[in-house]
Amino acid sequence: MGRQIIYLDNAATTRPNARATERAGVFLTERYFNPSALYSDGFSVGVELKKAREFLLSRVVDPTAYDLTFTSCGTEADNQAVFCCGKRGNVVTTAGEHAAIYASCTELKNRGVEPRFVPVLPDGGVDPEALLRAVDEKTSLVSVIHVNNETGAINPIAQLAKRVKEKNPRALFHADGVQAYGKIPVRLPKEVDLYSVSAHKIGGLKGTGALIHKKGVHLSPYLFGGGQENGLRSGTENVFGVMTFRYAAEEKFASLDRDCERIGELRERLFSGLDGRLFRRLSPQNGTPYILTVSAEGLRGEVLQHMLSDEGLIVGTGSACSSRHRYSRVMTACGYTEKTLDGVLRLSFSPETTLEEVETAAKILNETAARLKQKTE
Amino acid sequence: MEKVVIIRYAEIHLKGKNRGFFERVFTVNLERAMRGLRHELRRTSGRYLVENFDAERIDEVCDRISRVFGVHSYSVGYKVQSGLDEIYAVAKEVCPAEGTFKVETHRADKKFPMTSMEINAAIGGRLLSERAGLKVDVHRPNAYVYIDVRENGTALVFGEFMKGPGGMPVGTAGKGLLLISGGIDSPVAGYLMAKRGMTVECLHFHSYPYTNEQAKEKVVELTKILSRYSGTAALRTVSVTHIQEEIHKRCAEDLMITLLRRFMYRIAERVAKKIGGGCLITGESLGQVASQTIEGITSSNSVVTLPVLRPLIGFDKEEIITRSVAMGAYETSVLPFEDCCTVFLPEFPAIKPKMSYILEEESKLDVEGLLEEAMGTMKVIRIGEEKGTY
Repeated sequence: MGRQIIYLDNAATTRPNARATERAGVFLTERYFNPSALYSDGFSVGVELKKAREFLLSRVVDPTAYDLTFTSCGTEADNQAVFCCGKRGNVVTTAGEHAAIYASCTELKNRGVEPRFVPVLPDGGVDPEALLRAVDEKTSLVSVIHVNNETGAINPIAQLAKRVKEKNPRALFHADGVQAYGKIPVRLPKEVDLYSVSAHKIGGLKGTGALIHKKGVHLSPYLFGGGQENGLRSGTENVFGVMTFRYAAEEKFASLDRDCERIGELRERLFSGLDGRLFRRLSPQNGTPYILTVSAEGLRGEVLQHMLSDEGLIVGTGSACSSRHRYSRVMTACGYTEKTLDGVLRLSFSPETTLEEVETAAKILNETAARLKQKTE
Repeated sequence: MEKVVIIRYAEIHLKGKNRGFFERVFTVNLERAMRGLRHELRRTSGRYLVENFDAERIDEVCDRISRVFGVHSYSVGYKVQSGLDEIYAVAKEVCPAEGTFKVETHRADKKFPMTSMEINAAIGGRLLSERAGLKVDVHRPNAYVYIDVRENGTALVFGEFMKGPGGMPVGTAGKGLLLISGGIDSPVAGYLMAKRGMTVECLHFHSYPYTNEQAKEKVVELTKILSRYSGTAALRTVSVTHIQEEIHKRCAEDLMITLLRRFMYRIAERVAKKIGGGCLITGESLGQVASQTIEGITSSNSVVTLPVLRPLIGFDKEEIITRSVAMGAYETSVLPFEDCCTVFLPEFPAIKPKMSYILEEESKLDVEGLLEEAMGTMKVIRIGEEKGTY
């Protein structure tokens, strides 16, 4: 880009970790062999993939109890979970899901399965009692987003999964962990059957995701072909993407607690620097430290976003994946008025974010919002 | 046997002494349309022949021809040595396996040993004897086999007549500046003027940061679609952001659109004059929105001296959509990117604003200053080689 920018849209994507891409570079230049090939050069790449798989698994589960299927993105992982496990009865999910779950559950209607969308609380977290009420003996799958990508609310998936299983032991439990994996402490209990993750939210590359699934949970393939990924996801593996994911995750997990604490401080620092007359906080205090969602009430978030980017500050306006609609579906589900919904800005951080950046960002945000307010009121 | 495309042109034959000019422009346009495809274009008595193209790209060749104004109809056929056996060999390709048919011969080469009627009978008879499902119907056949015996010892054999877009060759009726938005109407308006032979250049107003890059990208895309017909060389963009902000700050809310349109017309006239355009073109259709009333049109018209052509003025939405679909713009036009921000839209725009009221409100603005400032924001995006951004 050439110009100095402050990048606070890390929940949309992060800058690839240069050390990780460099370490993985050998798989582009020298070890480019097909991991399914039987000659030793190819086979050894396959071994690296296996190690990467085990590594990525071991950070959040016992790798002997779970498998991991590499996919092309978090969305694919979510789709595979929904369409493989939501084959009969009803599927219970929340109104706060990412479009990858929301749209695929909506599609289930066309396939004879009833989707049930449970309301969310004002902070974007699911209402646990409502969730439990929606689960019955016909429920085949429950899917709850781990960290809400628009508000940063953390759903207590371990606890929810346990309660779901108490009510219907046969129902499978899936969580979309895209905004959680490698960012907040996660240890999945055995009640969580499926978990989606994505590389590019933690310094990996776009085009790499994975579905973590408990051994014994029957999955069917989504793509057919050469039988890669234990037959669950045919297609030659994206070796460079997977290896970058592995190396980026290695760094992220090594400093996860430290990052959480520091980024949490940055988040509060940024919020306290914002002019209270212009911005209202929508993110919960106990949400992920990586996301601070605010509303510049009465102003248009997108206009503000353009003006901020002209000032060198890049922010999100809710979920980029659904930016075609005027109001974010998720924020609407949280129950905000149009005035609040119009002005939603999502500020999201990465370990690269500095104190100086958030202080400058707060200043730019205040000045720009004030300027826009003066022009349009 | 070689595949060829025969092109017949439309109104050019009406143009007495100017015919040479029209034909020259038409030839240039055909050549431009075929750019990048291997071919040879030849003019023969009253028609054009495309030869020597890659046979597997025939659909592309036809597609390009079908977008050149001035093309009345075209046919895909074969060029062979003019012997009866050679003609019959390709007549079999052109004629369907069953149903009714008719052979029609035109014999320019009077030295050919058979008359047109004899050729019809000979070729038709052989087809009938080989294909049991065929029947001759000279009045209303399902299919034709046309044979054109030419003077240079070759013959053209072809079947179907495909309809061309008609109209006049672009470049024979001056240059106009189209005010293009991201909507359905303006590209169609540009198309219709191009159909009458006008070269159409485009001007788009944006109000970044109140509108976004996607909206601009959409207009670039629409201009590209239009340019396949219209000879458009560039899209110009001008920011009206500050004008909108000033109107919002200083003038009556209900006149936002009325006043903004007066500014847009003024800017458009300046741009048109700069590029040698003789008129403005808009996609206005009477009564479609609040600003497209006769009062609204009067208000905008009164600030310019160039004629403003509104080819859609009497069309309803459905008619416009049909044309938009036909020209291939509709799918892009309906992409959901706003090209006008609702921030400044009045809740109740003035539908029949009085001139005195307009002038009074406008006098609160530094019109000339704002115009000059807006002209300074002009960017030129070359179509086909995309340069420049906002």
